[in-house]
Amino acid sequence: MESLSALSTEGVLLNLAAVVILLCAFACLGSKLFDRYIAYYGLQSLTLAFAVGVVADQRSEPGLWALAAITLVIKGIAIPLATRLFLLDRFDLSRDVALSTGLSRSLVLGAALTVFAYLTIGSGEIGVALDTRAVVPIAVAVILLGGLCMVVRRHTIAQLVGWLIIENGAFLMAIATVATFPFIVEAGVFLDLVAAVLIMLTFVSGLAARLAEASASELRQLSE
Amino acid sequence: MTIALALAVVGLPLLPALAAIFTARARPLGFIAVAAGLLTLAGAVALAIHLAGGSRTHALSGFVSLDALSGFFVFTVALVVALASFGSAAYLRTEEQRGELSPLQVRLYFVFFALFASLMLAAFETGNLGLLWVLIEASTLASCVLVGLEAKAVSLEAAWKYIIISSFGVTIALVGTLFLYYAASGLTGSPTEHLTWSFLFAHGGGLQHNSLRLAFLLIVVGYGTKVGLAPMHTWLPDAHSEAPSPASAMLSAALLNTGMYAIIRFQAIADVGLGSGFASDVLLVFGFLSITIGALFIVLRGNFKRLFAYSSVEQMGIIAVALGFGGPLGFYGALLQTLCHAIAKAVLFLTSGDLVLRFRTRLVDEVRGVIGLMPLTGAALLLGALAVAGSPPFGLFLSELTIVRAGFASSNAVLVGLLLVLLVVAFIALMRSCAAMALGVSTDADGSEVTVAYAERSGRLLAGAPLVVGLAALLVLGVWIPGVLDRLITHAVGVIT
Repeated sequence: MESLSALSTEGVLLNLAAVVILLCAFACLGSKLFDRYIAYYGLQSLTLAFAVGVVADQRSEPGLWALAAITLVIKGIAIPLATRLFLLDRFDLSRDVALSTGLSRSLVLGAALTVFAYLTIGSGEIGVALDTRAVVPIAVAVILLGGLCMVVRRHTIAQLVGWLIIENGAFLMAIATVATFPFIVEAGVFLDLVAAVLIMLTFVSGLAARLAEASASELRQLSE
Repeated sequence: MTIALALAVVGLPLLPALAAIFTARARPLGFIAVAAGLLTLAGAVALAIHLAGGSRTHALSGFVSLDALSGFFVFTVALVVALASFGSAAYLRTEEQRGELSPLQVRLYFVFFALFASLMLAAFETGNLGLLWVLIEASTLASCVLVGLEAKAVSLEAAWKYIIISSFGVTIALVGTLFLYYAASGLTGSPTEHLTWSFLFAHGGGLQHNSLRLAFLLIVVGYGTKVGLAPMHTWLPDAHSEAPSPASAMLSAALLNTGMYAIIRFQAIADVGLGSGFASDVLLVFGFLSITIGALFIVLRGNFKRLFAYSSVEQMGIIAVALGFGGPLGFYGALLQTLCHAIAKAVLFLTSGDLVLRFRTRLVDEVRGVIGLMPLTGAALLLGALAVAGSPPFGLFLSELTIVRAGFASSNAVLVGLLLVLLVVAFIALMRSCAAMALGVSTDADGSEVTVAYAERSGRLLAGAPLVVGLAALLVLGVWIPGVLDRLITHAVGVIT
């Protein structure tokens, strides 16, 4: 199996893309405006599509080209557009008030999680054999940051974006470590389907609107 | 022969979905669902009997793979599907007559009930861990529609919570599967083989240890979210209480087991690759946490469907603990517990459906004297609760006894003591609520309007049949395990040890 070298053009591009993806996750975490969440997520997805394209080009895998195309069209364009049209515009959402942790504190937590990812993954044997090993801890950090976003934000749209960031992190890890994973395209399609269902459910249920107007900002009815 | 049976078991549950194209009436669809459920069960029994001999079948480079463990889970879930299809036929018909559900909702219910059942059964029949992930993920999507079916604010909120937390879980499970695949990168063989369970089980010694450890942890967190292991269980009480009761039965008695099946498969690989210590410790931690949280929340009286849901969290914890104790006795106990819990919980959730239709409430405190008003439902509520709580002479007593013996055999006496204390707490808490509902003084005397759960005789028959059959099966399993079931479980344990 031909592998990427960290110093080859492709290797440098992949590392750069990974850093941009990480920065986008941080940008989401440090923002309070819904359209910013969506914009950063869109940028992150476009960068991921580019990274998948780099690996696909290097390995000449048609499956990976398909994944790059799906990432570009669905994650990079369709999901941000649908979220903007059906959720932000319809419910007239602009500012996220359902934060359980302040912005600066969540950024510090995010930094701590990134360090944690480096310490646990970077020092272990995982990825040592790969020339793309710098990408693995970044991908894990992106997954953790997405999780953090879901935990500290209680608005449905923020949680949706948090989950989408986790998904991007998972795919970044997949192309960096196991680009030959046989189910990579199917997994991409399925998770996009889930995203579609989530957007639809938020749209139909009006949960987003309820949270926007209630300053208490909690899903109260089912709490116990 | 085996492949044909396996295809039949996956295809037959889809009959009601096909029928729903032509009609949106709950009555004919219900009868078709019952017929499909019974046919599926017949196919599953034939398949299980065939696999109880210890034979294994692989086809399509491991994408289809059947052994005694798959046979056992196919049988368990097919049994739940059959019981729940009776409940669906009765419940949906009443809701339709009362105008609570529109024709579209009835149609959606039967289509997604069918898809849900078929996808879960298919998950047991594949040996490819990537396909297993896809199927479990797809079953989540299908069941989400059932949770949000009533389209009220609360049920949509439950559906949202269910799908966002489960999606988080399946994404983590995907990362776990990726790490397992990466752990196998040093092995010879094709990429597809590196995701085939039997290949990984046979070559487990060659897997990279750190990646395998990480993979197993992520898998337990990921699929554990589906199982409802604490602290990933938070979707479970909401989804179970908001879904129509027969769908709650499917969630609790079938879906949770599907997640547990995935964990068992990965545990077997982790045991071969890392020795039994690591996986056992992980499962014991999650198991005890789940039993504790489940038992404590059962103490809270409130919504009886949430009560049964927390009991599921507790029961899944017991199964995880049994897997953690390990050894042939631990695995035997875990599988027996899985089967008995599935039957008992299906009975309890179907009973809760009758209660919701009769009392129009889900609150424990507003339901009293069920045994006088609805003798069969009341008896089923009381006996079902006794069975779930692990009282003799029901099957769960026998399985919990086996698990306790497994604990002593693995020299975990302190943990066994803790387990027994938690079981007693859960027993008292569950019986306090259920006995009050079944035996308390009826409040109907104050002249409030009396509603009847099932207006027609056939509705009463459809609702009553699964309760009687389920309780009878639990009684039988408490005193005698049929030879073929014993062989099936023994061979299933042999597959993973």
